[in-house]
Amino acid sequence: MNEIRPPASPRTSAHRSPRLARLAPPLAAFGVVIAGWYGLAYSLDNNFASADGSALIIPPPHQLFVGLNAATVSRIASATWVSLGTAAVGFLLAILVGVVLGVAMSFSRSLESALWPWLIAVQVTPVIVLTPIIVRVVGASFTARLIVTVLIAFFPIASNTLFGMRSVGTALHDVFTLAGASRWHRLIHLQLPAASPAIFAGLRVSAGLAVIGAVVGDFFFTRGTPGLGRLITFFFQDTRSGPMFVTALIAALIGLCFFLAVAALRRLLVSPWHRP
Amino acid sequence: MAVDTRIAAQLRDVHHRFGEVGVLRDVALTVRSGEIVAIVGPSGCGKTTLLRIVAGLLTPSGGEVARPDSGVGFVFQEPALLAWRRVDSNARLLARGDDAIVDHLLAVSGLLEHRHKWPHELSGGMKMRLSLVRSLAARPHLLLLDEPFGALDQITRHRLHDEFGALHESEGFSALLVTHSIDEAVYLADRVLVMSSAPGRIVGEFAVPFPRPRSDHLRYSSEFAALVGNVARSLYRYAGDA
Repeated sequence: MNEIRPPASPRTSAHRSPRLARLAPPLAAFGVVIAGWYGLAYSLDNNFASADGSALIIPPPHQLFVGLNAATVSRIASATWVSLGTAAVGFLLAILVGVVLGVAMSFSRSLESALWPWLIAVQVTPVIVLTPIIVRVVGASFTARLIVTVLIAFFPIASNTLFGMRSVGTALHDVFTLAGASRWHRLIHLQLPAASPAIFAGLRVSAGLAVIGAVVGDFFFTRGTPGLGRLITFFFQDTRSGPMFVTALIAALIGLCFFLAVAALRRLLVSPWHRP
Repeated sequence: MAVDTRIAAQLRDVHHRFGEVGVLRDVALTVRSGEIVAIVGPSGCGKTTLLRIVAGLLTPSGGEVARPDSGVGFVFQEPALLAWRRVDSNARLLARGDDAIVDHLLAVSGLLEHRHKWPHELSGGMKMRLSLVRSLAARPHLLLLDEPFGALDQITRHRLHDEFGALHESEGFSALLVTHSIDEAVYLADRVLVMSSAPGRIVGEFAVPFPRPRSDHLRYSSEFAALVGNVARSLYRYAGDA
């Protein structure tokens, strides 16, 4: 009689720490990016052709903070504050606008068919075309920066909200219909919770877009305290690549923070119950 | 249409069309108070449509429907649970503030110890039990069931049949059950109605004489097999090309 043996363990490296195994891929990716960064900085022609030998186009990582004096740090700090405020308030407004539009379109097919082409049009129109109009209408104010941010960031939220609202199963709707639920009760207790995983998927994309909106929108505003976008153009014109990259990295860091905040909120509200 | 208190639901001359397609034709049926009536029929014969008409989810193209004023309970093919609410909260969704009945139903269906779990943590059988508990928590006079046990394995299905029978004994509701399984229909119901292929109409009626409570032994008796055979013959005669 053949004896049935337990299969041999597929793990050959039995002593490898699982923590190390988890950290290895992101560390490797980080290493590749830094190596690529160095490679690019030292392979570009004339990158170090300035009088003081600092990088003109892209500083290698260890020279990022060269030329970062107190005055520059203070300019970057105040620009960070301006862009952070614009991105944060803009993101919250984009959530409001996106969810309201998504819900409204899910209630009415005619509203969806009337609005949808325009939403896509707004999404694909270069914001540079709209900025002068916005500035003319509301002035070169905080409101104008917010409008640009919302225009760039709301679309994934609106489209995902609509998709999520429409994905509620017939049987679940029937349960609420048989219970005599009002439209409001159905929205709060069925459709929005059911749509929340899709809405969060939209928020994840929009979190980054809100920061892009705040920074890119800022390029077009020549009055008031500069945000990160205008500061980047200043440093670019002055060929101060170090501060320019620091400014860009701060924008990226704000985007990352927004993304992590959305992820944390999702872990709190959706992950416990949602199994895709 | 007013309902006689001894009658849970009544349909007269009900017909229904989806556009040009006839789905139901001249359907007449009565569910008496406390009775379980099962409907078997070939796929696509309009069983689910009939159930949705009885529930009031669909208005028939013609005919009269009488249902309890207090509304009906509906158990769907899928458990249709709210994934974002725990077991306890799902069970209370339709309860009219009567916590005691929900606790009782959770206890008899073995869900009390799982009350703090999320639906995704439950097995298929437990999800269906919860769906049943949720419907019964509203104390419906009439419960409509659309192939609720169809997706379960045989052991779980048989166990749920007995639990359903016990709940029926204790709660005293009336039920209209749509199923693919002749076995299930005969085991659970007091009467089995056979529907023809679409446009569906009632073509056979079989009284089920077995006393309650019924147990698994019944399934292996010759009387049970004979009745299942009779229903099957009637079903195949009118099944058409389904």
